[in-house]
Amino acid sequence: MLLSLLLLIPLLGALALILWPGSPTSNRLREVSIVLLAVQCLASFALLLPFDPADAGLQLIEQARWVHAIGLDYALAVDGLSLPLVLMNGVLCLVAAIASRSIENRPRIYFALLLLISGAVNGAFLAQNLLLFFLFYELELIPLWLLIAVWGGANRAYAATKFLIVTAVSGVLILAAFLGLAFVSGTMDFSLKPIMAGELGMTAQLVLMGALLIGFGIKIPLFPFHTWLPDAHTEASTPVSVLLAGVLLKLGTYGLLRFCLGLFPEAWQLASPWLAAWAAISVLYGSLAAIAQTDMKRMVAYSSVGHMGYVLLAAAAATPLGLMGALFQMVSHGLISGVLFLLVGVVYARTGTRDLNVLRGLLNPQRGLPLTGSLMIIGVMASAGIPGMAGFISEFLIFRGSLQPFPVATLLSMVGSGLTAVYFLLLVNRAFFGRLAIAPGEVVNPRILDRVALREQVSAIALSLGVLALGLVPELLSNLSEAATTGLSQISGGLS
Amino acid sequence: MNQELSLPIQIAWLIPLYGFAGMLVSLPWASGLFRRDAHRPAAYLNILLTLLAFGHGSLILQQVFQSGPVDLAFPWLSVADLELDISFSLSLTNLVALELITGLSLFSQVYSLGYMDKEWALARFFALLGFFEGAMSGVVLSDSLFQSYFLLEMLTLSTYLLVGFWYAQPLVVTAARDAFLTKRVGDVLLLMGVVALCSYSGAMGFNDLYAWASNDAMSPLAATLLGLGLIAGPTGKCAQFPMHLWLDEAMEGPNPASILRNSVVVTCGAIVLLKVMPILQLSPIAEGVLLLIGSISAIGGSLVAIAQVDIKRTQSYTTTAHLGLVFIAIALQIPVLALLLLFSHAVSKALLSMSIGGVIASTNCQDITELGGLGSRMPATTTAFVVGGAGLVGFLPLGGFLALAQSIELLSVRSIPFMGVFLLTNALTALGLVRVFRHVFLGNPLIKSRRSAEVNWQMALPMVALSVVVLLTPLLLVRLESLDGLLAFPLWAAGLVVGSGLIGLVAGGLLPLSKAWSRSLNPWLRWFQDLLAYDFYTENFYRVTIVNVVARVSRLAFWFDRTIVDGLLNGVARLSLQSAEGLKLSVSGQIQSYVLTVLVAIVLFLTTVSWFLT
Repeated sequence: MLLSLLLLIPLLGALALILWPGSPTSNRLREVSIVLLAVQCLASFALLLPFDPADAGLQLIEQARWVHAIGLDYALAVDGLSLPLVLMNGVLCLVAAIASRSIENRPRIYFALLLLISGAVNGAFLAQNLLLFFLFYELELIPLWLLIAVWGGANRAYAATKFLIVTAVSGVLILAAFLGLAFVSGTMDFSLKPIMAGELGMTAQLVLMGALLIGFGIKIPLFPFHTWLPDAHTEASTPVSVLLAGVLLKLGTYGLLRFCLGLFPEAWQLASPWLAAWAAISVLYGSLAAIAQTDMKRMVAYSSVGHMGYVLLAAAAATPLGLMGALFQMVSHGLISGVLFLLVGVVYARTGTRDLNVLRGLLNPQRGLPLTGSLMIIGVMASAGIPGMAGFISEFLIFRGSLQPFPVATLLSMVGSGLTAVYFLLLVNRAFFGRLAIAPGEVVNPRILDRVALREQVSAIALSLGVLALGLVPELLSNLSEAATTGLSQISGGLS
Repeated sequence: MNQELSLPIQIAWLIPLYGFAGMLVSLPWASGLFRRDAHRPAAYLNILLTLLAFGHGSLILQQVFQSGPVDLAFPWLSVADLELDISFSLSLTNLVALELITGLSLFSQVYSLGYMDKEWALARFFALLGFFEGAMSGVVLSDSLFQSYFLLEMLTLSTYLLVGFWYAQPLVVTAARDAFLTKRVGDVLLLMGVVALCSYSGAMGFNDLYAWASNDAMSPLAATLLGLGLIAGPTGKCAQFPMHLWLDEAMEGPNPASILRNSVVVTCGAIVLLKVMPILQLSPIAEGVLLLIGSISAIGGSLVAIAQVDIKRTQSYTTTAHLGLVFIAIALQIPVLALLLLFSHAVSKALLSMSIGGVIASTNCQDITELGGLGSRMPATTTAFVVGGAGLVGFLPLGGFLALAQSIELLSVRSIPFMGVFLLTNALTALGLVRVFRHVFLGNPLIKSRRSAEVNWQMALPMVALSVVVLLTPLLLVRLESLDGLLAFPLWAAGLVVGSGLIGLVAGGLLPLSKAWSRSLNPWLRWFQDLLAYDFYTENFYRVTIVNVVARVSRLAFWFDRTIVDGLLNGVARLSLQSAEGLKLSVSGQIQSYVLTVLVAIVLFLTTVSWFLT
């Protein structure tokens, strides 16, 4: 019942917001959604109580017949792979709601969509039926499209349409692969367990896995399917960016592990050298492109391309350690990019720009944004893989898990980790160090920036503490998921 | 085994935490939560915690001195086949290094009270110092390569923040950036080495690694790459050629941090290198590279130091030079020598840096050609400079002399050319120090030094105390190292060291200092002068090569991204829009044509699918 609750709270909440009589103020709506999402967040953490970390299999299974004729059944379950992601979804959706201040334009729909996304993502992580997964995967798409298209920046129409079309292609490919799998194996049973691609011919496996790979590769995103991401991030508002980077990209990497690797282990193994090479290219490409950015948000967006490449690398190696690293990377990227987008949002709100050629000296203690700057330093250092924070241990596990199977790709990815330091250091050095501009006529960089109240930074501080906690005590996560990642690695006959 | 350990040893894991705790307790002041008391309590708390760390370290040192080294390990992370421990090796060497770090940290914190007297962000400074000290204490006590890497990276971060302390100044911004990125390059290469070692040996503890290294037959190529990776990290940390630029630029940061950077931070890097030394043995090429790096740094660094006019730069390059000697000692697998050199260098260099800080604080000037005659006005600072210099150079029977005489003795049986490098470095260092001394402390006061007075007591106290320590270094060394051989170098070795020191002193004394003489008319000499003054144009070299390449490639990647990848996507979109525009004209209303189209499409689709899937 607990799992269904994770879907019901946000979905019914969204419905309630829509049907709310009268005209509630934006603030009231925000408070209600914060309460709903906080309850949902608590409910997801309550999963930790019945959850048995030693069990590699599915737990808390909930099943019901639904549209059984087409193989669509309601089947939810959680395991060590999905649990951390559900927890992260709970936290980041709450953070997004808290960060949604002063939504003046149609607040009712805005918050309803936020809740809808939260529920749909939970559904996708928990679904144990391929069609059900697909349903939730698509269900999250439309709200996000609207959130960008209606509440986005100046060029939002272009970015949102691009996002919609490209991600819809991703959905189509995934559905095609699922249907193809059922078609070829001659069953109409889409539940995750009985589907075993083992009996299929290798060509069929490779084609189906290829479709899934491109489908999820678009979502993750991997080079060359990534161009929608920087545009979407640039136009999306801060809370939407937090969700997009923190939670929605994880659907792609989750799908990569759960479906590509989990359903087609043989084909995966065959393709893994190419996947590792692809990962290294994606990492280097994303990092290099990030160096050339002058828009802070675009820079963080490109960094996501690079950092998600590590996940592909680890998945290609499919060693127990690598898969644990992949999961670590998903969680730490979710938290870290959450911090970064929140802070970039604060800077943008105060100065009206994100241009690194314009911003200077924001650390100034009297007239600048010292707290934002300090948190930003923590965020970028975590992202650059400085030990003591979550990014380092993720990268270490991934590199350690992938070096033996794929030495060259792993070493190249490490170079990418060095490049991360370059662009994020440039970001901090340009925007936060130096002298705060005081020249008259500098419209975009006012002389005195409004103080940022501590309560505006509570989310960023909380996420930073999470990043530190995970970096200092990684067993928090590894104990939860070790059985599951090891199990997944065994399915794929791990290459180590 | 644990119940036999005494309490101080059992809680040895606290030692790095003192520094980190210092950072945490300073936060309320640093973040502006407590505003009224001018940040002083944060400073006092940090000093107290450092005192605790020093005291705790001395207790352990005493016990280890009597009853032998102890290793401690606490499990940290265990995933799949990976076991990572937090482990401490409480050996005599490590503990002496720890005491050196906490002791010098204590001195420089007291010094900071005076130097940073009017600094508005004093609490932030002390927080960073605490972070710095915690990371360093952990590095020297570490018994695992993973932990050493972990803390070295934290050290990189804290160096960045300390150098960038006065972040509003443009030079500081570039200095902090270069410090971070240079070290980061070394660290990434080191990470490659760490990950490779961890993958192939399966362990991270130093002892396990030594055992693995002595058994495992690696291919020469792998061993060489591994060795180079392991060298790269310390090369960056110790400011060795070609990653030495940052130390010089880092001088833009507050001076009390420079004291630590020039003495113990570089020592940390060298100690990590010492700990991986047995693994380097696998690769003769790596050892050769280490020797090359050390020799270039030693001679190049001391030559460049002579050509500088910035008082801080004259110091930072001699640090590079001395660490070069340490690198040579490590490459030749003589750990005792490396430790002697490190210890004598650390205390003397810390004292020299304090003295220089005093000069800067008193005159607000760093150009030695604009200073003069401070000797009579600043007695404590002058004494500190003389004592520090004497401790560094092999001339008087202080630490530097003992270390160098020992080196000559040990090198004479292994490698005569490197003996030459040591003697040359000694002579050049002596020359450089005398040159600075004459400029700053002798002669007539120039405008900027005319009204200078001695530094305040918070700065003078640690300076005097450290002077005493430097003077007592020989006694300390004899007692701590308990080496029978420490004083057992032959007279000729002592003679060579003293001789080289003397040559340097005399040459420095005879060097013409007047500005008219400072530029030679001989074009070749001028070229050589410029070469040294601009540090062999290393900075330009980097700007033209690495920085340029990365910048260009990243712009190319971005252009490619926008034009080709995204352009393709937009092209497809435009094409579909256009074809839709075209196709809408084909709407005829004839149902047959629609059915035909649909049928053709279905047949095509099914054929493709069945062709693929069978």
